[in-house]
Amino acid sequence: MVETQPSLAVTIGKLELPYPTLMGSGCYGSGKEFVQFANLRKIGAVVLKSVTRLPRMGNATPRLVHTPAGMLNAIGLQNPGIDWYLEHEVPKYARLPWRVVGSVAGFSIDDYAYVSERLAARDEIAAIELNISCPNVASEGETFACDPHLTSKVVRTCRGLTDKTLIVKLSPNVTDIAAIAYEAEAAGADALAVINTVRGMAIDVDTWHPRLGNVTGGLSGPAIRPIAVLAVYEVARVVTIPIIGQGGIETTRDALEFLLAGASAISIGTANFTDPRIPERIVEGLREYLWNRNLSSIDEIVGKANVGFATAHEYEGDEG
Amino acid sequence: MTTLETPSRVHATLVTDRRELAPGVVLLGLDAPELAASTLPGQFVMAVPPSGEAAATALGVYEAEARRASLLFFVTGKRTRELSELHVGERLDLVGPLGNGFDLQSSPRRVAIVAGGVGIASVLLPAQALIRAGSRVTLLYGARTSSLLVEAERFADAGCEVALATDDGTAGYHGYVTDLLERSHNHDLILACGPSPMLRAVARVAAQIGVRAQLSLEETFACGVGGCWGCVVPIARTSAQAPSFPPEPAGGSDAVNARICKEGPVFWSDELRW
Repeated sequence: MVETQPSLAVTIGKLELPYPTLMGSGCYGSGKEFVQFANLRKIGAVVLKSVTRLPRMGNATPRLVHTPAGMLNAIGLQNPGIDWYLEHEVPKYARLPWRVVGSVAGFSIDDYAYVSERLAARDEIAAIELNISCPNVASEGETFACDPHLTSKVVRTCRGLTDKTLIVKLSPNVTDIAAIAYEAEAAGADALAVINTVRGMAIDVDTWHPRLGNVTGGLSGPAIRPIAVLAVYEVARVVTIPIIGQGGIETTRDALEFLLAGASAISIGTANFTDPRIPERIVEGLREYLWNRNLSSIDEIVGKANVGFATAHEYEGDEG
Repeated sequence: MTTLETPSRVHATLVTDRRELAPGVVLLGLDAPELAASTLPGQFVMAVPPSGEAAATALGVYEAEARRASLLFFVTGKRTRELSELHVGERLDLVGPLGNGFDLQSSPRRVAIVAGGVGIASVLLPAQALIRAGSRVTLLYGARTSSLLVEAERFADAGCEVALATDDGTAGYHGYVTDLLERSHNHDLILACGPSPMLRAVARVAAQIGVRAQLSLEETFACGVGGCWGCVVPIARTSAQAPSFPPEPAGGSDAVNARICKEGPVFWSDELRW
């Protein structure tokens, strides 16, 4: 008897991926940077570094600090601007044997619209991620993801400009991420990326200076994993669109946590800096996990961590 | 079409020898034939943490001969401590070799190599290559104190003239190693690796004495392969190492950010705009 291998394929909006693993924006270049260090046959897609309307040199260095169980970064959206990007960078993605998702950042609704429309029009780009949650650009980058009305407005505007899969990347630096997620879905998002980095800071006690050139940064790595798992769990309760879970995933078991919390796919960022073979290990581990449990696809485990059916709000009600 | 190959630059190596050169200074010898054969002087590796915890550590390749490569490092934190605790026979996975090393093609007659502290780890390979090619090499080697001046005799054995400097005067010249560079003569080329303040001083002295200098820069890396733009330094747009990037909308700047891990880690000092 021929037994069928479990399928790891997932569909995010119109985006069909052979594996449920995306490489996080800003962590993986276009993927070409990693060809000699990782097996790119075994990834779902690469989310490209965010591009803005105008070129940006990014923040002063240091841009990275290693911290307990993670790292802080404040790159500051260094990128060549959309015009240069379309002319010089995007053509290089035409014949890549893996899918690339464009990432758009901006400082106004008009910025997001301008960049999204142009980027989405290109065949090389399989889908669009709206990075409305960058914590590392002077006060404005995260504004959209911290306000349900602005989230709604920016998503609705960009939705009107493309039929391609629209992923909206949410910030954990909010009081109620579920409320933002709800607005993003209502405004036409096809999927949500949950979460971007958690704001943080480190200070050198010898020099009395902040350790990042930008003073503040975004924390990633295993340090934020429980924060991210909760965010996915809370978002999954209020939306029906797929969630791409991310935040400190390093192993198959970490990935499973996100899937069980309600993510349909996961994204790997900082772990690539620990060992570039991690994405391949995770997909092989997921296949084995499904096989050992006689499950035929990832869908069968998505959101199954509902034991108890108690929400955070209900627990709050029990206090005192 | 970009071809996909099995990762060719991730190496499973075995620790063959381990020496503590000074308190907190460790030399790890590794059986790493492919790495030893392919590493160019000044290139580095990312060491995958054996525990799988925390990010990989960027380390210069100290020696590379036949099957053996070695890493020389100071224990400065959790990640280097973990590496320092490896035993002979244990496995260490390395990503590399990475970056662009020193440019030694000009066939210089006399070369000054300036090393500060752990910077010594990245300059043995270029010293050996230069001596093999017939250059006269002077190592100007500085550290806080004499016990941290490890491996000086190794460079003498390799054929370098060696001059030492310590901050506390416990060995060699009492003061900065760059003072020694300032008094040196007749060099055609300077190579330097060490802490940023030393490199800035080397750049200044090099300009004063009219000798070009290549600096191996130090910065915190995340990916180490050019994917994250975390380790940049501004360099002249006209540099051969400058990545293509459009001008700032305001214009006027002749600088562009280069990735230390990808375009570097070695840059010409007169092309840096730091």
